[in-house]
Amino acid sequence: MSARSSLLRDSLIAIAAFLVLAALPYIFPSKGFTDFVVRLAAFGIFATSLNLLVGYSGMESFGHGLYFGLGCYTFALIMQNFAVSIPVAFLLTIFLSILVAVVVGSICVNLSEIYFAFLTLAFQMLLHSLIIAWTPITGGDQGLTGGIPRPPFLGIRLDNYYHLYLFSSGLLVVCLLAMHHIVQSPFGYTLRMIRDNVSRAPFLGINVFRVRLMAYVIAGAFGAVGGIVMSLFVSGAFPDFAYWTISGEAIFMIMLGGLTVFLGPLVGAVMLLLLNDVVTKLTSHYGIVLGGIILLFALGLRKGVLDFVADMWRDRRQATLSAENRSEVAASAKPAVAAGE
Amino acid sequence: MTSRNRHAVGRRSVLKGAGAAAATAIAGFPFISRAQNKPIKAGMVTIGSGRGAMVGSASSKGASWEIEKFNAAGGLNGRPIELIVRDSKGKPEESARIAREFVNSDGVDILFDADSSAAAFAIQEVAKETGVLTVHMNSETSSLTADPKIRSWNAFRSARQGIHDSIAGGSYAAEVSKTKGLKTWMGCSPDYAYGRDSNKLFFEYLKHFHKDAEVIGESWPKLFQPDYTEQLTKILQTKPQAVYTCLWGGDLTAFIDQSNIYNLFAQIQVFAINIADYSILTAVKNLPKGIHSGSRYLSTFPATKENADWAAEYRKKFNEHPVNWSWENASGAKFVTEAIKKTNSVDPKKLAEAMSGMTIDSPFGVGGKLTLRAEDNTLVNYATGWGETIQKDPYVPDVKAVDWKVILELEHEWKKANKYI
Amino acid sequence: MDLSALGSCLISPSCVITQSTSGLIIGLLLFLVAAGVSLIFGVLKVVNFAHGAFYMLGAYFAYSAYQLSGSYLIAVLAGGIGVAIFGVLFERLLISRVYGSPVLMQILVCYAMILILDDVVKIIWGADFLSFGMPPAFQQLPILFAGGVVPVFYLFLIVITLIIAALLGLLITKTRYGKIVRAAAVNPSMVSALGINTGVVYASVFMLGGLLAGLAGGLAAPVRSLTAGMGTSIIIESFIVTVIGGMGSVAGALVGSILIGLVRSFGSIGFPLFTEGLMFVMMAVVLVLKPSGLFGKEGR
Repeated sequence: MSARSSLLRDSLIAIAAFLVLAALPYIFPSKGFTDFVVRLAAFGIFATSLNLLVGYSGMESFGHGLYFGLGCYTFALIMQNFAVSIPVAFLLTIFLSILVAVVVGSICVNLSEIYFAFLTLAFQMLLHSLIIAWTPITGGDQGLTGGIPRPPFLGIRLDNYYHLYLFSSGLLVVCLLAMHHIVQSPFGYTLRMIRDNVSRAPFLGINVFRVRLMAYVIAGAFGAVGGIVMSLFVSGAFPDFAYWTISGEAIFMIMLGGLTVFLGPLVGAVMLLLLNDVVTKLTSHYGIVLGGIILLFALGLRKGVLDFVADMWRDRRQATLSAENRSEVAASAKPAVAAGE
Repeated sequence: MTSRNRHAVGRRSVLKGAGAAAATAIAGFPFISRAQNKPIKAGMVTIGSGRGAMVGSASSKGASWEIEKFNAAGGLNGRPIELIVRDSKGKPEESARIAREFVNSDGVDILFDADSSAAAFAIQEVAKETGVLTVHMNSETSSLTADPKIRSWNAFRSARQGIHDSIAGGSYAAEVSKTKGLKTWMGCSPDYAYGRDSNKLFFEYLKHFHKDAEVIGESWPKLFQPDYTEQLTKILQTKPQAVYTCLWGGDLTAFIDQSNIYNLFAQIQVFAINIADYSILTAVKNLPKGIHSGSRYLSTFPATKENADWAAEYRKKFNEHPVNWSWENASGAKFVTEAIKKTNSVDPKKLAEAMSGMTIDSPFGVGGKLTLRAEDNTLVNYATGWGETIQKDPYVPDVKAVDWKVILELEHEWKKANKYI
Repeated sequence: MDLSALGSCLISPSCVITQSTSGLIIGLLLFLVAAGVSLIFGVLKVVNFAHGAFYMLGAYFAYSAYQLSGSYLIAVLAGGIGVAIFGVLFERLLISRVYGSPVLMQILVCYAMILILDDVVKIIWGADFLSFGMPPAFQQLPILFAGGVVPVFYLFLIVITLIIAALLGLLITKTRYGKIVRAAAVNPSMVSALGINTGVVYASVFMLGGLLAGLAGGLAAPVRSLTAGMGTSIIIESFIVTVIGGMGSVAGALVGSILIGLVRSFGSIGFPLFTEGLMFVMMAVVLVLKPSGLFGKEGR
């Protein structure tokens, strides 16, 4: 399938998904539901953006929360302190995140595996220390309080919960569409090739550093979008959003949902958020129940739900195919060839 | 073959479990219904896990006991209050989420915030947005109710307030300084909003009452820092005559244990506002004599029969000592139940109108009365004082009550200085 | 920022002695935890996020043993041995099942363990913080030395942790067991080809790590408050130490721990509000200049 026709198909799916999302509040007319989807949009974008690194590039970042926190605080601070419109604040936030990602990425992406993980963690914790220490600006451990002003733009009034819901759903759909397009592009296949065989890439004339840095910056920019949605949801920002646990949560979403399937992190986000909410609601032993469920997944499935489904589907398909024609199977998993296009 | 099958079953049941969880969650978003015979719902957001778990444990006991009494007396025309407690895990964003869930999905009539002070601000936003009747039962941060930009008509505070405690502490410390000739001071408070606020205001009022006092150094441990060695040695290097600390909970016990082995208390007068609470007094194995502390909760202060009885009953009921959070939450719940009885309603507007300026009989008030001050929806006239520790029960035998007239006067000036009024 | 205070401390012997011992004591207790993290990573390539929870368990085990026996020695041993056993169980029943899985899956298992243990501790020992109390033998006035102040208990802790560090160093460098462990770190398939059961080696490394963390919990208990979640702060510092010292290196863990301890004790005088940030800066600098750490071997 050519890139253009796949983009067209994706766009149609995205529009359909958005229409369904827009209609859902009429079926579940509860603010509890819209609240859930807004949070899901924040975490869905964030986890998927991390999976650009973890799943598609083999870069296991422990510090992706840097961009979530940065997006959250930058956006909230701009809105609180300057009389600008929401789109302007949005773009400024993304711009700043890209700048930070270029600097941090240039330092980090050359490191291998666990060192990359720890260095990204260190940068995230630096931001966290800064937020905590720079109280006059950031509000320190109390977080940014007092709410975010939401001037209307293009007829969108984000102080209305349904508008916020539509806006967040729209962002979720658009970001997923964009990220999917990126991973299906030649650039995406280059990333996968570097992931699978880093020593071969230079022979094909690929500048590994530049490709990785670009992936890191793209992931950071989308991660910041997740943070912006979060800051709109909580009407402020909290230092937890820059703490290492937020990166941990995104990793769990990826691991729960699956890292080889594009929508895996989104599914993982749905699962973890639902688990959190339901477990909090039903029991006072949050740790034991949630921990037990995570263990069941990790030790029982040993992969994310969508990974599991995809594997099962592939096994079944392979079984039927191998009975008929063996040669077709080999073509299904050859990213390196496609990358040359 | 068999083992593969077993795995498959295991996986399926896992998926089924997740499906069931999802179904519950969706069923958890019902329409809000408020039929007359249904119980009145009160949702409490508190900390139930991790280092702050004791907050939830004591808070829910204090409030639930008061609600039990209300229900036993027949409730509101037979409608009892149902208290739902949920754990925010000490994360403000989760506190806000749970508060919204309480209002939007569970349809609670009353929101109890028994969470940290950071969470209180997040919950205040929910209170403003939804208009639900809210009581902050633990937050002592003054600006929550003092700042008109943050204050809300439907949100009240049934807890101590930092500014009151600082004025009380400052005036007491000034008296002690004058008799003992203490001039040089150091602060050692946790580096977060409450710690910085409390530290700053304490010294401000100390200097107000005692002009010669001088702060010669400060050290700022992190909240929940396990080790205070570096702060202690800094204090020993700086050699002040007195130290102020507003460490609390487990941090304070660790601080006391570690100070003991440096023999700090023999060399320096320590003013620790949060010691006189049974959670600390009974936990510390080698409680030093002669530490100055504010009264958090003591069954002997106010020295009335009502207070002693309440503490004794609480101990009998829960098999543990009441603490500061216990009385703050009991008081918050009491104000709400009194307002419900008075207005015969759970309408937030009517309740808020009734609670604003309301005075109730209470073992914890000066002269047996507690008031929610009308001008800023916050608690006043609660028992507050300072005294010196001894090693055994009653731990702080002689608590010097601080005059509310002085507190209110200086609070008024403080509000002006901060442009709150 | 108060660099003049730091300067005047550095030229005063009493200040240097007091702050150095306080740095040592912070660092050496940290070392016991970090050494386990480092060993487990070096040999098994597992980032054991649950190690802070091991430390917490050690403190609680010690607390209960102290309540029952009244002996600090028994309490510390109970902490160490109890967690050693727990470490083996954790490795055999849980971690060993995800050796082939991605690193992140292993971390997920560790995280689940932290959640569960924090809750279990709350159920067994209660939500309130607990205070161990100073054993009577150490309830003494601190020693004055060249104007510096050193508590007797801390002197004891310094000596005992140094002994443990020395024994650990001997175990790893001089014994047959140490050779096997070091070999397993480099080439596990070679070790198993020699007829050595790698499963046993892996479990024993977790046992050793658990022992150290448990001892640390027990040793520190008299000067810590015990709460669920008390392992969180020490695990982050342990990772910083592990990175700075070099993953898998016991000597690196020792040097890194003491370095962190000194940064904290002197940092609290010079820049009290940014000591935490400074540790992460150090970690970042080491990672950029020498990713394998001060004592790590290059070539990964």
